[in-house]
Amino acid sequence: MFAFAKAADSTEVPLAEGASRSPRAGAAISLDAVAFSFDTGASIEAHLEVPAGQLVCLVGPSGSGKSTILNLVAGLLTPTRGRVLENGAPITAPGPERAMVFQDAALFPWLTLRKNIEYPLEVAGVSRAERSDRSEALLRLVHLHRFAEAFPHQLSGGMRQRGAIARALATDPAVLLMDEPFAALDAQTREILQAEVERIFLETKKTILFVTHNVREAVRLADRVVLMGTRPGRILRTLAIPLPRPRAVGDEHVTALANEIAAEIRTEVEKIAKEEADDAWVVPGAPVRVDPRRNLGGGI
Amino acid sequence: MASSLGNSPLLPSPLAVGRSLVHAARDGTLGRAIGTSVLRLSFGYGVSLVAGVALGVGLARSLAAKQAFGPLVLGLSSVPSICWLPLAILWFGLSETAIQVVVILGAMLPIAVATEGAVRQVNPLVVRAARTMGARGPRLLFSVVVPAAFPGIVSGAKLGWTFALRSLMAGELLFVSGGLGQLLETGRDIGDTTLVLAVIVSIVALGRASEWLLFARLDREIARRWGTEAA
Ligand SMILES: Nc1ncnc2c1ncn2[C@@H]1O[C@H](COP(=O)(O)OP(=O)(O)OP(=O)(O)O)[C@@H](O)[C@H]1O
Ligand SMILES: [Mg+2]
Repeated sequence: MFAFAKAADSTEVPLAEGASRSPRAGAAISLDAVAFSFDTGASIEAHLEVPAGQLVCLVGPSGSGKSTILNLVAGLLTPTRGRVLENGAPITAPGPERAMVFQDAALFPWLTLRKNIEYPLEVAGVSRAERSDRSEALLRLVHLHRFAEAFPHQLSGGMRQRGAIARALATDPAVLLMDEPFAALDAQTREILQAEVERIFLETKKTILFVTHNVREAVRLADRVVLMGTRPGRILRTLAIPLPRPRAVGDEHVTALANEIAAEIRTEVEKIAKEEADDAWVVPGAPVRVDPRRNLGGGI
Repeated sequence: MASSLGNSPLLPSPLAVGRSLVHAARDGTLGRAIGTSVLRLSFGYGVSLVAGVALGVGLARSLAAKQAFGPLVLGLSSVPSICWLPLAILWFGLSETAIQVVVILGAMLPIAVATEGAVRQVNPLVVRAARTMGARGPRLLFSVVVPAAFPGIVSGAKLGWTFALRSLMAGELLFVSGGLGQLLETGRDIGDTTLVLAVIVSIVALGRASEWLLFARLDREIARRWGTEAA
């Protein structure tokens, strides 16, 4: 069903094939003492520097502001306080140099996969000939060229996510924002797509902000893991992941580090929970679980 | 009793209705009536569709429009369209314009209400995704919001079609010359039950045929793209 197996030869396709320029490298992102408040009163605060070409994973419990940070960097939200900068310049609006991949793909159901991938190029005013060259190259990059004319509902969840990644890469952005892109996928598909993201990351040197509830996924992918907490949504700490790349699927260093971090997150989360004991926030009395494959979102 | 009703001119046999249908078709009255009604429908429904969709999109996307017209549209859409007839006659006399007013008010408002709902229910994630790709303003509206709402807009258009047909029949029945509605009235005047039933059969046929012509292809296309069940 999936096209991965036989597509090994096409991993060579350069990303910029069909484009007149070489791929755009990553941009530095900084959240400079940023705060954002929703009109409901919920708020987040964050100070974060992401150097160009780094892959940063955001992990933390539900409501800790991960999506909000991504939306701020995308330019979909404007900070209430502080500044969000791309290469030192304030981000004021969404733009094609910062592309986003959502949990449920958000591919347009009325367009074929090919047309979906070409859409951001159309918005950017790219000529029809270049659009079709570029979508062809991207379809090959994510091994979906056989499904170019399929509509999203005809694709599996994993294929849709790969399609969304291809679409995000279409305008050759400097920054990729991925909000739990693989959360709805089975473990195997997930691992395959993690490898794809790492490959694309190594090939293109783009800056990637990747949100996940899965600590193992974070450790597998990240140069740096940013651990977030709630009320207000904020960054608790960041951890460097100094493992060499490319990282193998069953890498025991990844597993070991993920175990450590998962344990740390537990402790961290429980500490916060105690501090906020007067709130209705309940921590299950279960012993500290260190299985990093667990989705933390459910348990904490 | 059953047999006496069976022979009664008040409940003619299907055969008699069929004969009447053929007769009306032969002498051209049926053809002319259908032609007149279809022409009126095409115009009235065309205007309703364009205006209704535009109004609905406006109501969904503009807070000012919603505040200004929202309650009005919702309120007026619950008025049975034939209630507009007296007002239309006072304004425009016994004219084509009067009946078009009835048809347009009858179809446009339900289309607007359905379109507004469809646009409001568009997955915000889809719109946000488009915005991150740099789409905004009219392009965002026409290349994303409206296509995303398309299945709902088509449902509204179908609803509008049946409302237009009903409004037109009511209007023609009450006063305007020509058309199927008036042929019904003629049948009643001359006490010809077979003619009345023949016209009703024609209205059913017209409704089915036009739905097939107008919407069957759209339904298939929507099913193909969205993966929903074809009706
Ligand atoms: N549109 C909104 N209106 C009001 N409050 C919001 C809105 N979106 C998010 N919030 C609030 O802001 C805080 C951060 O939400 P956010 O969606 O960024 O969390 P998250 O870390 O992405 O959570 P999850 O893991 O569940 O996706 C939460 O308290 C949430 O309730
Ligand atoms: Mg989120």
